[in-house]
Amino acid sequence: MNPSGIGRLRFIGFALTLVGAMILGQMIRIQNSTQAKELKETFEKTYNQEVRVITPERGNIYDRWGSLLAGNIEVYEIGIAPPEVSNPETIAQDLSAVLGLDYQTVKTLAESFTTEGNDTYRIVADFVPAEKVQQLENKIKEYQKLEKPKKGEAWPSLSGVHWVPHLQRSYPENNLASNVVGFYNYYDRRDGHGFFGLEEQYNSLLAGTKQRIVLPMNPSEIQELPSVPPGSSLISTIDREIQAAMEGVANKALEDTGAESATILVMDPETGEILAMATTPSFNPNEYWTYQDVFPQNSPYNRAIGELYEPGSVFKVLTMAAALDNGTVTPDTPFIDTGAIEVGGIYIYNWDRGAWGPQTMTGCMQHSLNVCLAWVAKELGPTQFYEYLQTFGIGKYTGIDLSGEAVYPLSLPGDPNWYPINLGTNAFGQGVAATPIQMITSIAAMANDGQMMAPHAVKAYIQDGRQYDIRPRLIRQVVKPETARTLTDMLAFSLEEEASSALVPGYRIAGKTGTAEIPGPNGYESSVTNASFVGWGPADDPKFIIYVWLEKPTTSPWGSVVAAPVFSEAAKEVLIHLQIPPDDIRAQLPQP
Amino acid sequence: MKQTLIQAYRQAPWRTQLQWIGGFLLVLVVVMLMAGVYLYISASATAAGTRIHDLELEREALQIQLADLRTELAYLNSAAVMSKRASDAGYRAASLEDIEYVPVEGFSGRNVVFLAPPPGNEPANSNLIKPAYKQSLWEWFYQGTYRLLETKASRQ
Repeated sequence: MNPSGIGRLRFIGFALTLVGAMILGQMIRIQNSTQAKELKETFEKTYNQEVRVITPERGNIYDRWGSLLAGNIEVYEIGIAPPEVSNPETIAQDLSAVLGLDYQTVKTLAESFTTEGNDTYRIVADFVPAEKVQQLENKIKEYQKLEKPKKGEAWPSLSGVHWVPHLQRSYPENNLASNVVGFYNYYDRRDGHGFFGLEEQYNSLLAGTKQRIVLPMNPSEIQELPSVPPGSSLISTIDREIQAAMEGVANKALEDTGAESATILVMDPETGEILAMATTPSFNPNEYWTYQDVFPQNSPYNRAIGELYEPGSVFKVLTMAAALDNGTVTPDTPFIDTGAIEVGGIYIYNWDRGAWGPQTMTGCMQHSLNVCLAWVAKELGPTQFYEYLQTFGIGKYTGIDLSGEAVYPLSLPGDPNWYPINLGTNAFGQGVAATPIQMITSIAAMANDGQMMAPHAVKAYIQDGRQYDIRPRLIRQVVKPETARTLTDMLAFSLEEEASSALVPGYRIAGKTGTAEIPGPNGYESSVTNASFVGWGPADDPKFIIYVWLEKPTTSPWGSVVAAPVFSEAAKEVLIHLQIPPDDIRAQLPQP
Repeated sequence: MKQTLIQAYRQAPWRTQLQWIGGFLLVLVVVMLMAGVYLYISASATAAGTRIHDLELEREALQIQLADLRTELAYLNSAAVMSKRASDAGYRAASLEDIEYVPVEGFSGRNVVFLAPPPGNEPANSNLIKPAYKQSLWEWFYQGTYRLLETKASRQ
């Protein structure tokens, strides 16, 4: 190689070395500069990692056909990062105009970095609806379209204002089924939980599991966000259409009868599924803070499960069922009603204080004779009678999957608060307290061949993408199937003979009225009553059972006058929604 | 004699220099190549990390929007709204007398609602981010070599 070639190579080598050394030197200089150190410190302090608590989406609640009863809507949290603010006036003006915030407060915060060196991000509004955020976004677009201002002029800008979406519990049906669904105090984002009904009963399942994660903010340290499954969703047994119809009937009943409250329960006796549970008062769970106004002094949120009352003559269904099952009486057992019977040294009279003369057991149920039923209980004897009541679940929780169930213990012979007269009065539903859910659960056994099913309000739940059905649960066989069918026939016959206003044309319905005096501080008050009606149908193959309770009706104290027509209205709606053909049409259908 | 032999086998000075320069340049090129590869991979991983972060935020936002839309739809189809829409359209609720039942062979009524989402293609717990995005160059090289050797050993 000639010397000039070597010289060129040397030159290239030198040049490359120089360039390499310069790059290296520059890298070292940048890496060790004061700005780099500051940047590193700031980064490590502020952005190196982020601790996040991931709250899963609260599970939805659906009705039995998939209509949403409780879901979630998108709302925003709006905050200001003072160091990023370029125009405090625009921020104060826009946030006060769109969100209704105080102009001066927002302005002080927005310019706090300049005035005080405040670099703390602060939330100025939360639960802001998407429409409001849209308005802010529109303003940003407007500002971007503006011509660049002259030097020294402030450019309108919302920089420094941040909005972060999150979910808020929402109830699309508003008041509908609110007594069953309950509510969620969504304003408490950290410790919110469900209250009453399904929201409280299934709070853990609906809420899912929160996860706390530490995320590196250095993008080269990639970390996958853990997949946080949403809370489980519930498919309730409630039929939205039946529920809406029952609430309509209950509200109308309140107007028509002047009652203090109305409760209507609809259940499938074969499964124990609650198809509707309408009760007053109800409120809009979207505005859950009105709870104290609607339910003052901790009055029951759901009277169907939380209010105990003396049910009166509807209880005779249980007394008669026990006596028939035990063989103490048959439908045709004769009884001479003299208008009074002595039990434990105290006389019991009929509702009308009259003597009804010769009767059969069917007649006793038809005319709702207290004297006759007290005699039946005496014939049955206290041991047998109370054993049956315990079998029917009186004095015990039904275990319905709704929060807030109440129970009053059944006084039994030997208890300090049990007296011999109790045997007589308990036979027709006085001196014993139960909730509507207890009553319908027990009596539903008569519509299901004597099998008492556990009442429940959840049909299935969805967890981790899978749907799990909740199977109907048999509590126990409370009476023999023949007893249940005999009693159903007796009660259907009674209604027909009475030409009761509970009847539904085209359908054979079994049912019983109830009128109960209300105990007060000075004994029973005859001026105010609890009027009830329980009925099921079609009598030959019951598909529903309805329990009606009107508290202190003013137009008439009698269940047969005020509660029976309400039952009829309710039954008509249920028959339509359950698509049950009239008896004559069903008779033509092939039997399964 | 000894001096003569050394002179005979010694490289020409320019050759030695060239070898040194060549060696140095080779080392420099290799180092630069490695630095380039490292920079490229780091930049790719960072870009991917940023994209993943953005996508995760987008997924979160979409989940919120999905829940919101579902609820909004429910508001539009709520019992009260539908009832009003029906009455505005001139319909009224049917009474028992209005209904005529016709036996239809094989009709068993409404089916039980099934609301669970259909199973997805990906198993729920699979890792979305490939290990390559989380490994250093050394880990990637070491683990890759280890896997290669293990595969060969298992074949033998």
